[in-house]
Amino acid sequence: MSTESPTDVGQPISTPPASLEFVDVVKRYPGADGPTIESLSLEVPAGEICVLVGPSGCGKTTAMRMVNRMIEPTGGQILIDGKPNTDRPAAALRREIGYVIQQTGLFPHRTVAQNVATVPRLQGWSKQRVSERTDELLELVGLDASFAERYPAQLSGGQRQRVGVARALATDPPLMLMDEPFGAIDPITRERLQNEFLRLQQTLRRTIVFVTHDIDEAIKMGDRIAVMRPGGHLAQYATPAEILLDPADEFVERFVGADRALKRLALGRVSDLKLEEAARVHYDDPVSWVREQLRDANVPYPLVVDADGKPLAWLDEDDLRGERIVAGSGSEVAIVEGDDVLRDAFSDVLAHRVQFAAVVDHTGAVVGVLSSDAVARELAPGPAPVEPVESEGAA
Amino acid sequence: MIAAAVLAQSGGFVRDRSDSGSGSDACVANNGVCPSWIVDNFDRYTGPLREHVALTVVALLVGFAIAFSLALLAHRRRWLVGPIVQFTGILYTIPSLALFFLLLPLTGRGFLTAQIALVSYTLLIIFRNVTAGLDGVSDDVVDAARGMGLTDRQVLWRVEIPLALPEIAAGLRIAATTTVGLATLAFFAGAGGLGEPIYADLNFKSNVLVAGGLCVLLAVVLDVVVLGAQRLLTPWTRAVPS
Repeated sequence: MSTESPTDVGQPISTPPASLEFVDVVKRYPGADGPTIESLSLEVPAGEICVLVGPSGCGKTTAMRMVNRMIEPTGGQILIDGKPNTDRPAAALRREIGYVIQQTGLFPHRTVAQNVATVPRLQGWSKQRVSERTDELLELVGLDASFAERYPAQLSGGQRQRVGVARALATDPPLMLMDEPFGAIDPITRERLQNEFLRLQQTLRRTIVFVTHDIDEAIKMGDRIAVMRPGGHLAQYATPAEILLDPADEFVERFVGADRALKRLALGRVSDLKLEEAARVHYDDPVSWVREQLRDANVPYPLVVDADGKPLAWLDEDDLRGERIVAGSGSEVAIVEGDDVLRDAFSDVLAHRVQFAAVVDHTGAVVGVLSSDAVARELAPGPAPVEPVESEGAA
Repeated sequence: MIAAAVLAQSGGFVRDRSDSGSGSDACVANNGVCPSWIVDNFDRYTGPLREHVALTVVALLVGFAIAFSLALLAHRRRWLVGPIVQFTGILYTIPSLALFFLLLPLTGRGFLTAQIALVSYTLLIIFRNVTAGLDGVSDDVVDAARGMGLTDRQVLWRVEIPLALPEIAAGLRIAATTTVGLATLAFFAGAGGLGEPIYADLNFKSNVLVAGGLCVLLAVVLDVVVLGAQRLLTPWTRAVPS
């Protein structure tokens, strides 16, 4: 019993994420003008997503591929959990590192289930355990079990990418490498896959090296971003907020873009802001009562809700002409959730006549109101505004 | 002239048409297509057919083994591809009859001499198809395989070769058809086969029809066998995109 291989018993034990460190890593190709990577040093804490971003030719993919020794560095060391990645054969190292590439690299001659089972089978897992794990992984990445017996040619681009992620996660590797994993997918599917992957990462907490050329993706996905400059220089290594607020040099500033202040909207969520209150009214309420309610609210439009508290319409002065509120009157409401990224929520607000959005909970009931002013204040808090008189609270 | 001598040695196959004993003597005398003669004399062809099958199948198996090994050797040593293609290309262009007679003093008459020639002609076709098949495997797939920790050997046998199977099978099918045809000349090397009855009585239509027909049939059967094996081994190529 004691000689039994630990990989062959029970469910996969969730392995703790690994830390990763580049120590003065150099990559030079013979005959090239300069080094592809010039003395790269950076540290990725366990359980974080580190995005390597930069224009083409900056060495980001080379840097990533040196981690699992698809490319061998000319100098320096790469440490995984403090141990050099050269301490065992390359193939053995790679089996413990998840690997996802842009074109997915799924095996066209293997079914989805067989693709996902690649590394577990290399590791000698039992049939039973492999098939249980495969089912589990397909569910994890949101693929119906009926996909298991299909071939990659029978999947859409987005589905293939999900299988690619499932395959990389198969043995719950402590470290994952992802090279533009969502690069070849249409924008809508990419957005969805990014969100799903971030949700997965919240529970899985893998250490991930993520390569992209897209600064927006970097800001969205990264706990930390390493901005690289052609020639393999590390221009800045910091959190997305730091890079947007305080770019290290002109290169980073230009790479991040002139709209970097607006890009910070991608970092915040609706739930980060202080919500405002609107008067909640119903159709058929007396107009005079509605006007009463407005006095206590800090939003100048009454919000019509239904019996469950779901938002229906904003009322304006024109809707308050009669005795009672006419059913169906008012203008459309922008509806956002607390989880929504501020950029999306703000964009939604701007697209509506009334520049306030109803924030709803998971049941769809209103919990507060998001104003475009609040978003602007979040971006640039500014000094405290002057109060006209000492406020004494509402009557 | 040498050919005539060889012919003389292998002669006497169909000349004695007289023992047909049927009422179609007039047809036979006119060198026509005589169904009753064919039925009565069909067993004359089973021996040559058996020889022909042996010549073809052995040549294909040996040729495949050599060409496939060469292709694997050259897969990781690209510089070998050029010389191998040149060498097998030269073999391919030597006229088969010339090769038989060149080999006679070395290997004598018989199966071995015929095999050396037949095998030589399969090499170029199979080598080129295996090489093309392996080259056709997408770089992403190989990169992903290596990145997941498959060793070079595992990448080759579990990924590259399976994906090259359609091309490999295509090469085998061309080689099979060619070899069936070339093996009709093997009797010049004293190895028998269906060429023997054909050349023994080229004027007699019944004879040419039966022997030639068996050659065509053999070519078709081999083609179907290879194609069937390929379809069995590559189910993914038939997966319908949904």
